[in-house]
Amino acid sequence: MSEAHGMIAEFDEPEALTEAVRAARRAGWERIEALSPFPVPEAAEALGVSAAPVGYIAIGAGLVGAALAAGAAYYISVHLYPVNVGGRPPNAWPVFLPNTYLVAILWACAAALVGMLVLNGLPRLNHPVFFARGIQRATEDRFFLFISSEDPLYAPDAARGFLRGLGPLRVTEVRER
Amino acid sequence: MSDVTAPVAEAALRPGRWGFRLSLLLCMAGLLVLAVSVAAALVGGVGVWGNNIPHVWGFDLIAYAWWIGIANAASLFAAILVLRKHGLRTSVNRFAEAAALAAILAAAFYPILHLGRAKLFLWTFPYPAYTGVWPQFGSPLVWDFWGIMSHVIVTTLFWYIGLIPDLATMRDRAAGRGRMGLAHAYGLLALGWRGSVTHWHRHQAAYRLVAAMVLPLLLWAQTVVALEFATTLVPAWHQARLPLHVVVTGLPSGLGVVLALAAVLRLALSLERFVDDEDMDLLGRLVACAGLAAGLAYGHELLVGFLEEDPLTRAALMARVTGEGAPAYWGAVALCAALPQLLWIDALRHRAVAVVPIGLLAAAGVWLDRWSIVVDGLLRDHLPARNVGYTPSPAEWGLLGGTIALFALVLLLFGRLVPAISMFETRHEESEAEAEEEER
Repeated sequence: MSEAHGMIAEFDEPEALTEAVRAARRAGWERIEALSPFPVPEAAEALGVSAAPVGYIAIGAGLVGAALAAGAAYYISVHLYPVNVGGRPPNAWPVFLPNTYLVAILWACAAALVGMLVLNGLPRLNHPVFFARGIQRATEDRFFLFISSEDPLYAPDAARGFLRGLGPLRVTEVRER
Repeated sequence: MSDVTAPVAEAALRPGRWGFRLSLLLCMAGLLVLAVSVAAALVGGVGVWGNNIPHVWGFDLIAYAWWIGIANAASLFAAILVLRKHGLRTSVNRFAEAAALAAILAAAFYPILHLGRAKLFLWTFPYPAYTGVWPQFGSPLVWDFWGIMSHVIVTTLFWYIGLIPDLATMRDRAAGRGRMGLAHAYGLLALGWRGSVTHWHRHQAAYRLVAAMVLPLLLWAQTVVALEFATTLVPAWHQARLPLHVVVTGLPSGLGVVLALAAVLRLALSLERFVDDEDMDLLGRLVACAGLAAGLAYGHELLVGFLEEDPLTRAALMARVTGEGAPAYWGAVALCAALPQLLWIDALRHRAVAVVPIGLLAAAGVWLDRWSIVVDGLLRDHLPARNVGYTPSPAEWGLLGGTIALFALVLLLFGRLVPAISMFETRHEESEAEAEEEER
């Protein structure tokens, strides 16, 4: 018999999932995960997630990218390879703007993707919830609430009892198959 | 099985029909033409083209500016749909993004081949070469390098971020049918997406952020192309209004192509429910609006021309408007500004027979506009030297036809291998619509 990873409940409405998340937070469960086929902002709010760090990472990376691009253009044009074009000064900063602007956007966009993935702990090859029966429908039309066995309150009976009380379609224990 | 996911996923998972195979075959033939044209330019140098002094840019820059315009307008449309939180359905943004990506791939051929020594294109990148030579940041070639690279990468990211959850759906669908090899391929690309609400929250933030940053990028991508003209001393090009003109007249091409694609897609993949009449209405009206904006740009061009005091600049404009350049100029006005106005008629907007030719002709009109700027802009120059005129060679026509085939091939493969419309957004909207109905 393999080790249990936790308990999972299946719902068919996003509102039911949001209610379940709120109830789980009230009951003191900490290591929970809500799965949904589309964004459910209310449930994310109930879990206390903030998306702001993605924005900070993107803005920070954009500024660093801009500074690097402008700095490189300045250093190359003034120190490494100054060329006299019709008597123009080597530090002709307006012509550095096109690539500074583009590199800033490039870095900010790449950082938005990478930052989102890192904050989400992705990419990863596997996760306990993938052992749950019927989990394929989490990317189609079903909603799941998972309580990890790593939760300090976790006991199979307590978790099952709590999830059953939420009125799900079914509750199953997640085990390696 | 959800009735939303099934038809869209099916379109990507079922084996191809004869229509698809025939199109694929045609595109492959076009790709062969592209390969030959590229090889001709690489082996023979740019001398195989019709380019000569003063026509150093010719077909190459026309096609480059044209493809960038298509990519821009398609991305603009997709970004606006993503940034709108409510209201109209956003299902069409996915293939608008794909069209943008395919157009940039097509555009990227031109500046590299135009270098003449294509293998040295990396000299525009600042790296410590053994020659000790560094790129000049005042050079439009260097702007082009950064512009195209950022455009390709950001558009790809924009498309991919939106695709991640749908790739996870494809993974689970393929696994459910026992096609494990395919499931593993989709699974790797889905990066282990499991639909956690927490992940969704950050995903949406990242998606909107990139969409918001696509907007200034687009403005800049087309502006950089136009700036390369404006920084020359050619009278017809050396104008502050040129970047604006190129950005605005570029809109009907991309929107027209997206409109034609939407009409073809809903028929070919039986997705009428997802790309519905309301979507076609929005798109049709947008193309008509873009045509109006292009009309205003032409009006502005003529007004500025009349107010122009410099006789040479005026003569350059008159040569394009009433002289030898008149067919291309008025062809552009008719196709990209006037023709889309037909889309204000409700009956026409819903017929594929009408919108496909109007959309594609609008794109062709923008191509004529680029011809009018690039080739006919040189009709009057500072030196009254004999202008030999410009005739494109077969290698140039082959390159244009070949990149169109490449564009079509990339879109065909996108339509087949990945969900053509955004499944998670459609699911979300249908669930919201159901909730509203229940409240009533």
